[in-house]
Amino acid sequence: MEIELNDSELAQQIASGSSQEVEAELFSRMAPRIRLYGLRHLWDSHAADDLTQQVIITTLEALRSGRLKEHDKLASFVLGTCRMTALDLRRNAHRQERLLQQFGVSLLTPAEPHTPSLDHDRLTRCVQHLKERERTAVVMTFYNEQTGAEVAGFLGVSEANLRVIRHRAIHQLRQCMGVSL
Amino acid sequence: MICPDAIDAAILADYWLSLLTASEEENVELHLFECDLCASRLREVIALADGIRNLARSGSLRMILSEAFLDQVAADDVRIRKYSVPAGGAVECTVTAGDDLLVARLMANCTNAARVDLSLCDERGIEQVRMPDIPLQPGASHLIYHESITFAKAMPSNKMIARLIAFDEAGSETLISEYAFNHTRSMPGPAAW
Repeated sequence: MEIELNDSELAQQIASGSSQEVEAELFSRMAPRIRLYGLRHLWDSHAADDLTQQVIITTLEALRSGRLKEHDKLASFVLGTCRMTALDLRRNAHRQERLLQQFGVSLLTPAEPHTPSLDHDRLTRCVQHLKERERTAVVMTFYNEQTGAEVAGFLGVSEANLRVIRHRAIHQLRQCMGVSL
Repeated sequence: MICPDAIDAAILADYWLSLLTASEEENVELHLFECDLCASRLREVIALADGIRNLARSGSLRMILSEAFLDQVAADDVRIRKYSVPAGGAVECTVTAGDDLLVARLMANCTNAARVDLSLCDERGIEQVRMPDIPLQPGASHLIYHESITFAKAMPSNKMIARLIAFDEAGSETLISEYAFNHTRSMPGPAAW
């Protein structure tokens, strides 16, 4: 069954005691967003999966119990929960096990969002076509997430100028790759 | 699906690289929790970032790098073949199947140049490739030229000449220094291109 509700309406339905199908819909929408947050802040796909499970559980718990009253603030609630859970995950690895025992794992299989595939040869040509400074800037920045100050120092430009160089290069690369990778 | 407040891919890249301010980051994250279109664009940016990282690891780019960057790559267990060439000097060089990256440290004083190009020439001195306006660390006594390992592994024994060319404010060209690479092929393959 296709559920055509916005996030707020979905939250409302869950709060009023909906079917597992509606909760599954919330999971399928929110899990990829939470996982992205996890990848960005925890830098590990397994930790991002753990974060996804725990945040979904906390969100469902809050909706079922009526703790989340303003349903149009669902995104803010989930983001805030992500922040706290990410901190907690770093501190306490045992909490996940307890929550999983309480809720079971049937609903909580981490979603695998679509990952764009990349044409390696095309990317090689696109990167090689960048101007020398642009190529150096993006490779040094993306290879090991070097700080702006390090890369700017090497290029002999300000961090603001480096940002302009990097942004221009990213736009050119996306265009060269056909925008959607 | 349309997002009226779509976040630019370059801003998403900055977000991914932790280069935004705290308030900018908060705005981006809240938007990403409400907009699957921008989240999808972020995944494209992540794929691009991963692709560039893999490309750098594969050694197949021709570019100028910093000493600090090279140290980071070396710490990742990447096997780097390095040559140092004095200004006006020559070096006997090769590349083996076990090498991941190939770099040449070109000694040079480029302090007074407004712009420097690196010109790669064949053994007759005829330019084959020019890298215009290469990045140079201010005050550095050398630069690190990273040659494509894919190209080097396919290359037959030959001589390559690299020239550093300075441009002044008026745009006139001056040769800073020249470097000769006498490459001997040590892997199976054709004797000529």
